[in-house]
Amino acid sequence: MQFASIRTKIIEEFRKRLFFIGIIVIVIFGIFFFQLINLQIIQGKEYSEKSRMNMENNIPIPASRGEIYDRNFAPDKQNMVLATNRPSFNIIVIPARYQEKQKLRYAVKNVCALLKLPYDEIIADIQSNNPYNRYIIQEDVPFDIVVTIATNQDKFPNIMWEDAPVRVYPFSNMFSHVIGYIGSLTKDEYNTYKDVGYKYYQKIGKAGIERQYDSTLRGVDGYVRRIVDAKNRTEGEEIGQHPRPGYNIVLTIDYDVQKTAYTALGDKRGSVIVMKPATGEIISLVSKPDYDPNLIISKNNAKIINQLNSDKNKPFLNRTIQSRYPPASTFKLVTAIAALEEEKWNPNVTLYCPGKYTLKGYVDRDFYCYQAHGSVNLLWAIAKSCSVYFYQLGLKLGPTTIFNYAGYLGLAEPSGIDIPGEITGFIPSKKWKLKTFGQPWFDGDTVNLSIGQGFMLVTPMGMMNFIAAIVNSGVVFKPHLVKEIRSNDNSSIVSVVVPEKLREIPLSPTTLETIKQGMRMAVMSGTAARLGYLKVEMCGKTGTAQTRSKRQEDASQHAWFVGFGPYDAEPEKVVAIVVMVEYGVAGAATAVPVAEQVFSTLIKKGCF
Amino acid sequence: MFKTIRSAFQEYDVNFLFAIIVLVLIGIITIYATGFDPIEKVNSGLYKKQLLWFIIGAGCMFAVSRIHYRLLGDYSLYIYLILLLLLLITTIFGAKIRNTRAWISFGFFAIQPSEFMKLACIILLAKYLELRQFDIKRLRELLIPFAVIGLPVLLIYLQPDFGTAMIYVPIFLTLLFLGGADIPQLISIVGIATIALFVPMMLTYLEWSGVSISGGIFSFLKGNELLYIIAGSLLIISIITFILYFFFNSKIYRAIYIPAFIFSSGLFLSVLIQRFLKEYQKRRILVFLNPDLDPYGSGYNVIQSKIAIGSGGIIGKGFLKGSQSQLGFLPEKSTDFIFSVIAEEWGFIGAVIVLLLYAYIIYKGFTIALKAPDKFGMLVAGGITCMIFFHVIINIGMALGIMPVTGLPLTFLSYGGSNLIMSLISVGILINIDSRIR
Repeated sequence: MQFASIRTKIIEEFRKRLFFIGIIVIVIFGIFFFQLINLQIIQGKEYSEKSRMNMENNIPIPASRGEIYDRNFAPDKQNMVLATNRPSFNIIVIPARYQEKQKLRYAVKNVCALLKLPYDEIIADIQSNNPYNRYIIQEDVPFDIVVTIATNQDKFPNIMWEDAPVRVYPFSNMFSHVIGYIGSLTKDEYNTYKDVGYKYYQKIGKAGIERQYDSTLRGVDGYVRRIVDAKNRTEGEEIGQHPRPGYNIVLTIDYDVQKTAYTALGDKRGSVIVMKPATGEIISLVSKPDYDPNLIISKNNAKIINQLNSDKNKPFLNRTIQSRYPPASTFKLVTAIAALEEEKWNPNVTLYCPGKYTLKGYVDRDFYCYQAHGSVNLLWAIAKSCSVYFYQLGLKLGPTTIFNYAGYLGLAEPSGIDIPGEITGFIPSKKWKLKTFGQPWFDGDTVNLSIGQGFMLVTPMGMMNFIAAIVNSGVVFKPHLVKEIRSNDNSSIVSVVVPEKLREIPLSPTTLETIKQGMRMAVMSGTAARLGYLKVEMCGKTGTAQTRSKRQEDASQHAWFVGFGPYDAEPEKVVAIVVMVEYGVAGAATAVPVAEQVFSTLIKKGCF
Repeated sequence: MFKTIRSAFQEYDVNFLFAIIVLVLIGIITIYATGFDPIEKVNSGLYKKQLLWFIIGAGCMFAVSRIHYRLLGDYSLYIYLILLLLLLITTIFGAKIRNTRAWISFGFFAIQPSEFMKLACIILLAKYLELRQFDIKRLRELLIPFAVIGLPVLLIYLQPDFGTAMIYVPIFLTLLFLGGADIPQLISIVGIATIALFVPMMLTYLEWSGVSISGGIFSFLKGNELLYIIAGSLLIISIITFILYFFFNSKIYRAIYIPAFIFSSGLFLSVLIQRFLKEYQKRRILVFLNPDLDPYGSGYNVIQSKIAIGSGGIIGKGFLKGSQSQLGFLPEKSTDFIFSVIAEEWGFIGAVIVLLLYAYIIYKGFTIALKAPDKFGMLVAGGITCMIFFHVIINIGMALGIMPVTGLPLTFLSYGGSNLIMSLISVGILINIDSRIR
């Protein structure tokens, strides 16, 4: 009896314990059930996407980037191609496709041996990236390497290749500051542009037209949808989306004029802008020093880019829009306009120039002219660039009026040109001087200001827009480099750039006529007399900015020439030019010859 | 002959048998699907082998179901010893397949003694626990069960087949639990094991994730000397308090010597495990906790398995249409991750049907255990059911990403002759016990 009761007790305990295990079973099956719901129903879409990514090895078909031509483009003839593409291949790897790390290492090691690349660096770089992303081992690989990899997949497991046309700039440096160059997206750029469809492996324009018109030029990549297995064997292939090639761009730049300006400037640092004031079309835009975009986009470019970045002459600086200088004597035109408009200054009034002007004060101070001009009226003062005349004119006007006119004439306004990175000129003020130097504005400052020395700064492009206002009766069009956008096969025009009015400055016709006459006289018998023999009636104004010292005549001078021609033609025919040479000897000596050559070419081309 | 079969079927619980056959057939169909190469358009033919194993297994099942289960108990020691010998031979001379000596070849076929050993252990332990059912609450009665399990686990570990060795532990503990062992004793054993495992895991994790180990608790755990001192002093405290308890029989001493002993032996064992477990095995358990630690190694398997299951959605991608398994992204798809293939191709519906079939089989197993005519029958039925249960939860749990990657087959479904035949023999035993109830 006792034995039996112990037995029953043991059986009872067994039942209880089995029930306990039964509860555990139910709980665990419940957990499984909910995990199934979680994976298959709640997260089902995400996992489907991941599974699709696993098997779809979508190979992008890069859209061919649009070409860039000069202004003389015509669809049916041999054209000047300023930027184009040549076929090439990239060798890529997706680390997540490897089940074992050793296999990835094996494949990469073999590729590195084949391409003669440093294995350690590359494998470290690969492993620091997202394993699901395509990693480009080498760009611009010849076709026979691709064939080697394709036929030895056991040696190069999961190593892939893709079309990747390389950008070519046939004229190297000559158009570098107009066209710019392209490059891989940086992390910052990717974060900024990923929402508008840029992929991390794509290229983006980094400067110039390539940057500004990137969305026009790049087109839309297509892709081949390839179903692969874990060993990257292809199960099926189809075109997922055809690429839409980028549009071609026809520039307003004329190849011949660009070449002339480029050659004429030689090895000097500086810039040249040639523009049609009637429309704002830029015919030539040169900035020196420059760079070869082909080298920048080449593989192993890091060294070249570093070298260019550390060059103290700043070859990446587009001096036409990104540098500002004292306008020097070219600013005398502003002072003259202010006097004519504001004071009803009679241009025939003569002032005497003994070669210097003495400003009376606690201490008398002498301001010099480069020669004694004797009695000159306004026209001769412009033509001969007589500083003493303008000193007195400036003092009469007062600084505020000159500031106002400099602003009024747009010298500190952005030109709105269609390449990025533009800066504006700078107009000082009394307040600014007090704040910056802790000094009030002196009459001596006004004297300097009236001939464009001192604090006033302009960009060459700002100067060009000022000349355009003189030529075009006060109307300024937005300077632009793109003439039209064409479809990739050039068969149709996608859009034509219509001149856009930037501002209209109400200046009296007599004022403008006087200024033009003065500039004409400067060419006929003044500082720019060298242009006088040209078949076109030129007008112009030279300038020599003293940059370091105002009194000592050392080599630190910037040479300016601003001008246009023909003198008395309808505005549609006129071409304007701004030449700026850093540390040139004098405007007349270094800047004017450049203008001379540019206009010779224009004449030869029959532009007038 | 036909009469015996017919009468046998009348005795059998047809639903139970049906559930098992359905599962095995689902397995064979899935193995067919996984053996299919969509690029070469050929089948590896693995499913034919599995079909052959099924036929052999069904024969064994039928034969065993005709043997009175108590007879198995009587011969359990001999069965155990023969298998232990086989296991020893395998571990030393077995054919090396994927760096593991788990198979012993008999000419045209090879068996995996470690699979059959599971069943032999269950039967022997059940027999022992039945004999000792009135004394089992004493700690020293657990020594023999430890030896019975310890020997094969050691041999299997040396093969080395980590996953199979591991599965013995929960089966063993559940059998002791069902056999009536003292619960505090079991908890102590588990506690020691947990402490013993925790320390090396912690160290491996920190070393692996690149945390510089300096100062505080880490240097203590890392420096074995200090560990010995602490463990040793805990042991001395526990011995002293045990002697005090022995003389004065106060409960306070009991409350001290038991935890002190647990901690000290746990720490001593942890040093052993730190030396004994291979680095990759420790990492494997860690990768289970966080698959991102190793996206290329075992973490890869779990990630791909979850992708396979998750992408199956509600109705699945369809037969032969599972891209994860068909295109080879899912590893070990006919064995360890067969559940993922089913969940991918047949979706939530298919996965739930499989889960329900298992739930039903386990439920039936427990019912048989509850109604078994004697303690031996109860323990054998309970042990076998728990063995199936543990295989199911560890395997499916692994596929679902909530259990470690251990490389265990999924009973009835996974490709593999030894496991299938052993499982079917187990079912035969269950059927026999069931038939003795009525």
